[in-house]
Amino acid sequence: MIFKWFDERLEIEKFKAKFLRKTFPSHPTFLLGELALFSFITLVMTGVFLGFLYEPSTKMVSLFGAMVPAAYASVVRIDLLPMGLIVRRIHHWSAMLMIAAILAHLMRIYFSSAYRKPREINWLAGLGLWGLTMFAAFTGYLLPYSQFSVTATSIAYFISKSVPWVGDWMSRLLFAGEFPSEATVPRFFFMHVMLIPAALIGLIGLHLVILVKQKHTEPPANKNRKEAQGGKRLIGLPIWPEQGVISMSFYLFLLFVIVLVSTYIPLNPVETYGPPSPGTPVMRPDWYFLPIYGFLKLIPGDLSFSILGGKITPETIGGVIFPGFLVLVFASIPFLDRAKGPQPYMANPLRRPFMTSFGIAGGVFLCMDVVAGYIDVLHIAPQTMIIYTILATLAAGGISFALLRLYNGKRGNDVT
Amino acid sequence: MVERDAGTTEGKAGITRRRFTLGVLVASLLGAAGSVLTLLKVLSPEKQGGGYVTTIRPGDRLVYARGGETGVTVRASSMKVGDAVLVYPSSKASNPANLVQLIRLKETDLKPPTNIGLTDQGFVAYSAICTHLGCTVSWVENQKSPDASYTECFCHNSIFDPARGAKVMGGPAPIPLAQIGVKVTGEGALIFTSDFTGPIGPQV
Repeated sequence: MIFKWFDERLEIEKFKAKFLRKTFPSHPTFLLGELALFSFITLVMTGVFLGFLYEPSTKMVSLFGAMVPAAYASVVRIDLLPMGLIVRRIHHWSAMLMIAAILAHLMRIYFSSAYRKPREINWLAGLGLWGLTMFAAFTGYLLPYSQFSVTATSIAYFISKSVPWVGDWMSRLLFAGEFPSEATVPRFFFMHVMLIPAALIGLIGLHLVILVKQKHTEPPANKNRKEAQGGKRLIGLPIWPEQGVISMSFYLFLLFVIVLVSTYIPLNPVETYGPPSPGTPVMRPDWYFLPIYGFLKLIPGDLSFSILGGKITPETIGGVIFPGFLVLVFASIPFLDRAKGPQPYMANPLRRPFMTSFGIAGGVFLCMDVVAGYIDVLHIAPQTMIIYTILATLAAGGISFALLRLYNGKRGNDVT
Repeated sequence: MVERDAGTTEGKAGITRRRFTLGVLVASLLGAAGSVLTLLKVLSPEKQGGGYVTTIRPGDRLVYARGGETGVTVRASSMKVGDAVLVYPSSKASNPANLVQLIRLKETDLKPPTNIGLTDQGFVAYSAICTHLGCTVSWVENQKSPDASYTECFCHNSIFDPARGAKVMGGPAPIPLAQIGVKVTGEGALIFTSDFTGPIGPQV
């Protein structure tokens, strides 16, 4: 009855036939992007709750007799509310999960070579989503205005200030003046709750529209069946109801895991860090910033020079040039790949020795940078760690390349 | 009469309608971009002369910067050799550039490039703001051999040797921590006697 009333006005049946019958190829790794999307939905929902209660101000107020910044006080009050602490933890855990899912999704795309023609644009859109998510996480760091928040943001402030030529102006634009300034928290709050989520939603939309337009890559196993059927339609599950029900169950299961983890595992204990104070204890950023954090420790202090009036300092190298170089490498991958012509199927990573071993070497390099973040507890000198990093990267790339060549040579496979 | 193929129709001035429209579009886009630049300028406040500019003046008394005794005058007798504390000049605590690490070493351990004239009875003081990325440095005390104690920034493990002018011993810090003169007064308190010997905070 109700359905008919709406259908007569909105032509739902027509929409269903056109979009909801689209097929979604099935492969266990095809849910990673959805995992990121679902984490984002959780983040928005918990974020709305937190947004009602958070106060973006560094004005000093009284909290249990002590004078603390209003932002810090409001977060402590959120933690004391029934459900308050767990919502804040769900928010933070979901952010970590979203970035983990994005990375896993990116690795899936990379190793199955799904970035190849015609999907280069969507690879770039995906990198943009990754960058925006990291930026959202970074602006979220400052908001509780704890000792941890202020230290982390201060480091980022000096890194952005170290950008040659424009750093001075750029850091004042981003941090609304010279950090710590009372204008920084309101600006970060606005970016965190409005600007970045809006950009994320827009870019997610673009990512999905391009996906629908270009169709999903398919497992190579579908090739024969598809050709037998005439080769037009994808082989997989229709979006509604089959794939939709799978996705919804998957999301509900994910929520269950996130709530469970948030219940038992504390995260960002703002009350333990305390409000900003002199003295910086040992603190490390969330895991997704660890490669940059570790890399910063490896750059020797005397490595600074000027080119064309721009000052290159160790901070510039570790905090600007290194991440910039990574972005450049990631962005150029689909354009350096030698495959020509449209590629509708996933590639077998074992048959692509160069790309696969390059990816493994890159992954090992980033992991070694994470280890470099722990040289203080491992008692390794930075110089030694640099040598370890180079050796491990070259060894991982070289050995995996040699093994893959051997594997394909024995089987007589063509490699690409 | 409606011209269907506007692009190829010559106007009286010799330009096509399509080119005219394109020109208007480009001009408006440039104008819009210009206004965005102006807005970006407005959104990045002018320098306040802030950053790390110290307001320490010779004669300022040293007080504890943290812990239960925050704001209490530091007494020379309360620090033994190998101790270090974070201090502020009294009543000037709001400025992070004023944060100083006061260390007591054996007088004979102090070597150049430490400015010995700025030390007194083994008391030596340096800016506590790491020259790498601005975290506050900490004192890593070696109980067994006090002269092996050192100053470290726990953010990215820059290490400074306070007995040798806070020279960088390791890690990414580009320059030493700036020294500042201190002396013990007749009443056993400590006062600053000079300005910082060099720049403080990150050199970016």
